[in-house]
Amino acid sequence: MAIQDPVVIVGSGHSGVAVAAGLRTRGWGGGILLIDAENELPYERPPLSKELLKDGAPDESAVLRKEKFYADKGIGRLAGVTAESIDRNGRTVLLSNGTRQAYHRLVIATGTRARPLTVPGAGLAGVRSLRTRGDALELKQLLVPGARVAIIGAGYIGLEVAAAAAAKGCEVTVLEFQDRVMSRVTSAPVSRHFEQLHERHGVRFVFGAAVTSIDGGRRAERVTLADGTVLPADVVLAGIGVIPNQELAAGAGIDCRDGILVDGDGRTSDPAVYASGDVTRFTSPIDGASQRLECIQNALAQADCVAAHIAGQVAAEPEIPWFWTVQHGVRLQTAGVRHPEDQVIVRGEPSGGKFSVVYLRDGRLAAVDTIANLSDFRTAKRLIGHGAWIDPLLAADPGIPLAEAISGTPNHSDADLTAARS
Amino acid sequence: MSNTSMSNTAISNNTLTVVDREGATHDLEWEPDQSMMEALRDNDLPVLASCGGTASCATCHVFLEQEVFDTLEERSEDELELLVEAKGYRECGSRLSCQVGFSRDLNGATVTLAPEE
Repeated sequence: MAIQDPVVIVGSGHSGVAVAAGLRTRGWGGGILLIDAENELPYERPPLSKELLKDGAPDESAVLRKEKFYADKGIGRLAGVTAESIDRNGRTVLLSNGTRQAYHRLVIATGTRARPLTVPGAGLAGVRSLRTRGDALELKQLLVPGARVAIIGAGYIGLEVAAAAAAKGCEVTVLEFQDRVMSRVTSAPVSRHFEQLHERHGVRFVFGAAVTSIDGGRRAERVTLADGTVLPADVVLAGIGVIPNQELAAGAGIDCRDGILVDGDGRTSDPAVYASGDVTRFTSPIDGASQRLECIQNALAQADCVAAHIAGQVAAEPEIPWFWTVQHGVRLQTAGVRHPEDQVIVRGEPSGGKFSVVYLRDGRLAAVDTIANLSDFRTAKRLIGHGAWIDPLLAADPGIPLAEAISGTPNHSDADLTAARS
Repeated sequence: MSNTSMSNTAISNNTLTVVDREGATHDLEWEPDQSMMEALRDNDLPVLASCGGTASCATCHVFLEQEVFDTLEERSEDELELLVEAKGYRECGSRLSCQVGFSRDLNGATVTLAPEE
């Protein structure tokens, strides 16, 4: 084992950079090399579909760490370079610049890419997806007053862009195959609330919409749906999900199944190769489900697991998975991972603009959506971590603090109850 | 823990004294283009900052001394909502460090990391 070889981290998103920083925090004294496909300092992703698109917003997005940080910490960076293949026996990775880089441990943090549209016309100018800062800046140029913007997919990305486009005076139509927005991640009451919010800002929705083609000369001019509807569109944004960038691992024979499979320490089926962040699939420690999580919480928690394991230490206890989106200035924060069959309890009056929805599974708090209601978010995150049982009637009363709606914890001891409530 | 040299570059920076969760103190430099959270995180203090500084998560909760706290602008509604539910919340003193921007008035301040949840 050649300890003089660095830990090589492929991918410089939130997770890759956090692995590098975490190794140093944990006292790793060996080399660290970050491989970055992009040619700039690694940056924050959440603003790309939010602040960055706003009128008058600077084109720079916040960097994850300043340039000086990498130098001070002795973290090497190779920018504008991708990893092409892994030689697992020789413990080297072949880079796009033609060099072969030896590694002590390899960490794959390549994230995801936007799922491409496959309908005819998807290659026309004006048809975009949004994943990188470059994507965001190109999209920003297209969102001019009066532009007719068709957004395919009513998930976080589609809706955040819809809000930004509407604010810039575009005519926005969101085309969604399901019968409501964010159907994969939330319940009907939250979907309806956000639909109404968007409609008040002039966004139109077409549900049950299956796009069959995009037509135009050189540029997109219209979108055709399966029912024959034709919508004029100057800009088409596809927000139809993501695909894990697992090819590097899969090509080396590392186990993948819609994501690189990792254990609780972030290890792949090759003990010298780790994976971290959106690209991974793992077993939920909470409910045993196989999952891929697209969120910064997971990107950072897995990065800590990887850094700790490489440094021979024990990782910190992770936060409950959590997610957020902001649309038309309204913040939705979700903690925990909801299942469609969970019991749904609405806390408060959606028309008041501030409410929560709690999701109970076998009587326990499994997840929460909070709308402009961060205090419920904080409390629920803690209660989910404790596996608290919740009284549905008490939870439905927004006048009662959520912590007072606990009917028990798994061990039922008074001490556990006190700990969960405080 | 890092204890950055105070020579040369210190002219334009603030210094902060940070008390970690074990009670140990660390002196660090706070650069003008950093939020307080970034200064803590980039100097290896255990600040998770899982929302990247958007007042969404409260993992960068700190306590400030009363006289320092009083010089700052009021906390936003979001920040306050997150803090009120946070472990060890102090009506005078609790801040999300991501919401505290660089200010000369904070030179020499002492910052105490709030307990982890």
